[in-house]
Amino acid sequence: MLRSDRLLAYAMILPVVIAVLAFVVGPTYNVATLSLTQVVMGQERGFGTLGNFRALAADPVFGLVLQNTAIWILGGTLLCVTVGLGVGTFLAIDSRMTGWLRALILLPWVLPDVVTAMAWKWMLHGQVGIIGQTLESSGITEDTISFLGDPDLVMWMLVIVLIWRKMPLVALILCAAIRSVPDDQLEAARMDGANAVERFRFVTLPNIAFSLTAVTVISMIWITAEFALPWIMTGGGPANSSQIMATYIYQQSFEFFNWGVASAMSVVNLFMLASIVALYLYVNRRSWASEELK
Amino acid sequence: MNEQPRPLYWLFLSLVGLVISIYVLFPVFWLFLASFKTEAELAQLPITFWPQAATLDAYTALFSDTHQKGQLLDWPQLIGNSFFVAISSTVLVLFFGTLAGYAFARLSFPGRDLILGGLLISRMFQGAALLLPTYRLMSMLGLQDSLIGLVLLYSAFGLPFATWIIASSLREIPKELEESAMIDGATRLQSMVKVVLPLATPALITASMWHFVGAWSEFAFASILLESNEHKTVTIGLASFVELFTLEFQYVGAAATIVALPIMLVFFFGQRYFTRGLLAGAVKG
Repeated sequence: MLRSDRLLAYAMILPVVIAVLAFVVGPTYNVATLSLTQVVMGQERGFGTLGNFRALAADPVFGLVLQNTAIWILGGTLLCVTVGLGVGTFLAIDSRMTGWLRALILLPWVLPDVVTAMAWKWMLHGQVGIIGQTLESSGITEDTISFLGDPDLVMWMLVIVLIWRKMPLVALILCAAIRSVPDDQLEAARMDGANAVERFRFVTLPNIAFSLTAVTVISMIWITAEFALPWIMTGGGPANSSQIMATYIYQQSFEFFNWGVASAMSVVNLFMLASIVALYLYVNRRSWASEELK
Repeated sequence: MNEQPRPLYWLFLSLVGLVISIYVLFPVFWLFLASFKTEAELAQLPITFWPQAATLDAYTALFSDTHQKGQLLDWPQLIGNSFFVAISSTVLVLFFGTLAGYAFARLSFPGRDLILGGLLISRMFQGAALLLPTYRLMSMLGLQDSLIGLVLLYSAFGLPFATWIIASSLREIPKELEESAMIDGATRLQSMVKVVLPLATPALITASMWHFVGAWSEFAFASILLESNEHKTVTIGLASFVELFTLEFQYVGAAATIVALPIMLVFFFGQRYFTRGLLAGAVKG
């Protein structure tokens, strides 16, 4: 009975395991070996070289990509969590309107990336974009700004759109955490004369500290995985000023067919992801898979 | 938070609420409005908010044959392809995810927690780093310009999360129900299908909705794998307007509306199930 159950179990999970081995683990291994192989126009010419990594490091764009990726991931995460905390605190207020907003705010999250990218690309358009036009006609700026055409601005514009897309879920998770802060603790603090800010700082914040840490790390993973948004909005341009790892990998692989450099960058990206995932597992060490299931 | 409703406080709540609503809705609504405007109106300054002469021309153009001379893709085909890929992979994910979910929730076997944990972690690596090797793998298998290939890929990407959602819901169903069915002579598979699964319907709906939305919206892998126009999906079609370098935003608006519509329907009618998966999914990256 037990033995047959065990066989049945393995048979039942086999398709899932095979699928993940074939389409995630296999490709990961494959790109790692490719990065150590000399590749010329899609032809493999010998394994066991660090040439691709040297070529990557020698690419004048490489430094810029690292810098942009840092803005993208760190700036994006920081803003996502800060704005999310603000909005989440607001959504946690009991009222019919916030209840309704809690449902509505997920809209940016469920919308396909491509739709979001197109909507914002148009709104930020240099000539006919509504944001530039509104700023100009209200006299705030003298001319319309080409938000996505200005190398100094473009990366931050992408981060702003990223916040629009990713912040809602952060806000909702933090809202749920804030709403589960025990009422009696807040009441006791109020009795002791703590004002709203002090209650937030000394009661709410310690109670949601775990959610806040977890959501910060998860945001980093989400943002690292995001590709369609920057790719469609700018394609890494103008002149690589918004090139991040994801768009660089895509461009090197499928526009320049520079597979050596692309695979080297993919490996760098995987290492970065692995360290964020390790951080995630460390933060969540008390509530990983099996315990959560019970 | 038992504040007495005071006028000033109420005003503050409403104002902030209004700002958040506009912030969330405006970009979507703006594209939606554009789909009813004419090319002339979209090019003129100052910008008009409501369409001056509302027209469905953009939609008709996307759906007519006359407008496909190299400029627009065949939208009925794109929509068909997207539905095919999203629905087929949802069916696969649901079937295999239920099998695996049941095993993880109900049967004990060596390595169970480790395997489930590994599956969940694999989700976090499904990013740009896998684009190149996936392309190579699919070319090797002869599946690079095939919708079937995309169905397999999306199923593989979606299975771990579906498995996990289903497994966690199955754990909450009392074992006794199943045991009594088995005492009455049902086999394990019979008791699973007849007793357990009907009780897990909400989780099955959540898993399907999640997967459908993800598969319908996917862009990166579809864009590297699909080459011929008759195999492309709606997200590729919408993104292709970037390359046209025109100010014909009425097409972008109409196409974006078409791409967003199924997702919005799932979102509004399945809100309950969707949010459930969203919060659960968030915890698991």
